[in-house]
Amino acid sequence: MNGTDLALQARHLGASLGGVPVLHDVSLGLRAACWTSVVGPNGAGKSTLLRALAGLLPHSGEVDLLNRPMPVYSGRERAQQLAWLGQGESSPDDLRVYDLVMLGRLPHQPWLAGPTASDHAAVARALGATQAWDWRHRLVGQLSAGERQRVLLARALAVEAQVLLMDEPLANLDPPHQADWLLLVRALVAEGKTVVSVLHELSLALQADDMLVMQQGRVVHQGACQDASTHSALEQVFECRIAIFQLAGQWLAVPRL
Amino acid sequence: MMSTGHPPRQGRVLALVLLLASAVLLLLGMGVGSTGLESLADMRHDPQAWQIVWDIRLPRSVGAWLAGALLGLAGAVAQGLFRNPLADPYLLGSASGASLGVALAMALLGVSPLATEWLARLGLAGAAFTGAVLAVLLTLLLAQGVQHTLRLLLAGVVVGVVLGALTSLALLLSPGIMQAMQSFMLGSTSFVAWPACVLMAAVALFTLVAAWAMSPVLDGLALGETTAQSLGLPLPALRAALIGVLALATGTAVAQTGLIAFVGLAAPHLVRSLVKTTPGRLIGLASLTGAVLLLSADLLARSVLAPRELPVGVLTAVLGGAYLLWLMHRQGVAGPRS
Amino acid sequence: MLERSRLVVFCGWLLAFGALVFPAHALQVFDDRGSALTLAQPPQRIVSLLPSLTESVCALDQCQRLVGVDEYSNYPAQVRQLPVVGNGLEPSIEAIVALKPDLVLLASSSRASLRLQSLGIKVLALEPKTHADLRRVLHTLGVVLGLPDDHAARLWQRMDSSLNAVAKSLSAPARQARVYVEVGRGPYAASESSFIGETLTRLGARNTVPGALGPFPQLNPEFVVRADPDVIIVGGRSPEGLVLYPGWASMRAVREQRVCVLSPEQADVLVRPGPRLAEAAGLMARCLNEKMQAMGISK
Repeated sequence: MNGTDLALQARHLGASLGGVPVLHDVSLGLRAACWTSVVGPNGAGKSTLLRALAGLLPHSGEVDLLNRPMPVYSGRERAQQLAWLGQGESSPDDLRVYDLVMLGRLPHQPWLAGPTASDHAAVARALGATQAWDWRHRLVGQLSAGERQRVLLARALAVEAQVLLMDEPLANLDPPHQADWLLLVRALVAEGKTVVSVLHELSLALQADDMLVMQQGRVVHQGACQDASTHSALEQVFECRIAIFQLAGQWLAVPRL
Repeated sequence: MMSTGHPPRQGRVLALVLLLASAVLLLLGMGVGSTGLESLADMRHDPQAWQIVWDIRLPRSVGAWLAGALLGLAGAVAQGLFRNPLADPYLLGSASGASLGVALAMALLGVSPLATEWLARLGLAGAAFTGAVLAVLLTLLLAQGVQHTLRLLLAGVVVGVVLGALTSLALLLSPGIMQAMQSFMLGSTSFVAWPACVLMAAVALFTLVAAWAMSPVLDGLALGETTAQSLGLPLPALRAALIGVLALATGTAVAQTGLIAFVGLAAPHLVRSLVKTTPGRLIGLASLTGAVLLLSADLLARSVLAPRELPVGVLTAVLGGAYLLWLMHRQGVAGPRS
Repeated sequence: MLERSRLVVFCGWLLAFGALVFPAHALQVFDDRGSALTLAQPPQRIVSLLPSLTESVCALDQCQRLVGVDEYSNYPAQVRQLPVVGNGLEPSIEAIVALKPDLVLLASSSRASLRLQSLGIKVLALEPKTHADLRRVLHTLGVVLGLPDDHAARLWQRMDSSLNAVAKSLSAPARQARVYVEVGRGPYAASESSFIGETLTRLGARNTVPGALGPFPQLNPEFVVRADPDVIIVGGRSPEGLVLYPGWASMRAVREQRVCVLSPEQADVLVRPGPRLAEAAGLMARCLNEKMQAMGISK
């Protein structure tokens, strides 16, 4: 890519699920201190790409994290630099919100040490950012789906990693909380963190800095969300069933009926 | 159910209560004998009775406590490892393996002098332990490693069923051992002497420390496998190690007291109903709860129909099951939150 | 027309004659389940699924009528040549039917009786649990086998007098002995209300396990230590001999070697409630005499 710093880089990435190839020779670079959204039709391989980049899936090809090859990192180092929020991940009903978010600090805690003051502070920050502080002692099983999603998000935030990979982070969130998430991501990027999110809410995805458009396991387009080329790539990948307009300074994708 | 207590403090309170209960029950255990409850004060005047207390009642009570601790620990590890509230210590086939070991040992005893010599050295407890551990290894072999939870569970079921069938076959071919096998299958502390207690204590200490050392893995697994992996936890190695702890604890308990059902399953649930905490912190509390549960059941088994004995396994099922039923009823009345 | 009426009268007389003759040979007995069994004539082909019933039939000198036995029937020696039809609780129905028996003898607790009856085979369920039971069973067998009335009674007389003789042979110290009889690992004991216990009582010895606990209770090992028996008899077929539960090593009987471990053949004799009653009593008496003599003190 161009001379800017790359948080994540992939070269000839390939991956299969159950023997079926899902990613075909993907090479890309994701800018640091930038929010990239990954979009594409169902089955395009978005989640698989994210997992491969996070090192959670066996893959061919190479991935560099913060300019170092992924194999160089120990599990702990990688976990400290890269936080992952999966899609539809299970959450134990019997845990308290605070304890669950504290699990996000595991990469930073020496093996059997208890939480330190900095761990507590990080958890407090994460809970505050997701407006979950007030019910930190509630049981996860007693939360609504949206509240649970915010708690899982807080868990990912508690890691305070340089790079955040999130797969469908807006599931079950109502519009005010979706807006909160947006502002949160913008704040993280302002701090210098890198955020990569898979989103199927196209209008929200268009709020990102960069967009990665995927189709059938390949990257079809990568560019700024403001560019017209990105918009036309997006429309094409969805078989021109959507139209992209600007409204009140924001880009919107609406179905073309 | 909103709790006002800070979670670690709740856990500590529960631990203290359980330790206190254990002390009381052990004292009671010294007094439960062939005529039901007997005053310990009377014991002091009678040297034979005193010897009964030290040689028979105390090792049985301590043994029941230790076996319960091992089973409670194993249950907590199993439920944390497989993220399944229905998991119990026997789910990798260890129960069937132990039964087969004991059945074969009893059937072969006396059949050939070589077999008898080996078996005399090994003892029935050794046969049970060997059977349990071999069954778990077989499960691991069939599942081709520890990575796939579902494969492990299925392999465990298969091994359990097949070894159970082989045990039935062994019983059919030498039915003279049926009565003795029954006492093994339903559990009994009659055979527990001081050496057995020392062995169980050593294994309990080791497995407790090992499980506590690996508890971050159980905590991380609570979030799902992928997330646990993303948190940098060395899953494959520690999962295998945890299964090893599970097999060791279960095998030791079963070898000394037979197949006691429900303790491993119910103990973690009982703890969770009182204290909400991470799977790692659950292990110690579940171990204590299992110990108290089994000791209470053993005391009842010895005293209800004294001098006859009821099988301990029946009483653990009744006690543990009744409490769980009451819990379910209470939860059903309160109603789940939508 | 006259011929036809004469034929009818003749047939009528024949029937009347038959009705008078047949009841003399029809047998009716009640088995242990209370159900009645009616046989036109004494069975010639008998299958026995309980070792004690096998021995009873042979003791009544009708061994030749047995055509099949269960796998545990091993006495007298000639029954070992007979075809084996499986074990008593779950016999091979097919094998039994193939032998075309007139009567099948089995335990009341066997599940095979319904199946066999539905196949048209006559079944008699007998399971002696006490001495009185055994006498009744022998009498029933005598009736069913078509034997003269006093045949079974005479057998019982012989058994009874042998038992008395054995009781008399018990030495004075042996008669004072308090005995613990173990029949299985658990420990399962034979109490006063069991068959073995009854035999022991007839001998005049005392059982440490009271009958109120049931015939074969599983005991708390502590109970035996408390009871402090003089002699221990192990009839459980366990090759390890006496299982030393914790605390048992200190019992007087164990320390002073007053333990009789019966061989499998001897255990069979002891456990079966059958015609070898006196032999079982003899086994116990010999053990008691031998072990109490060593003690030498009468209490």
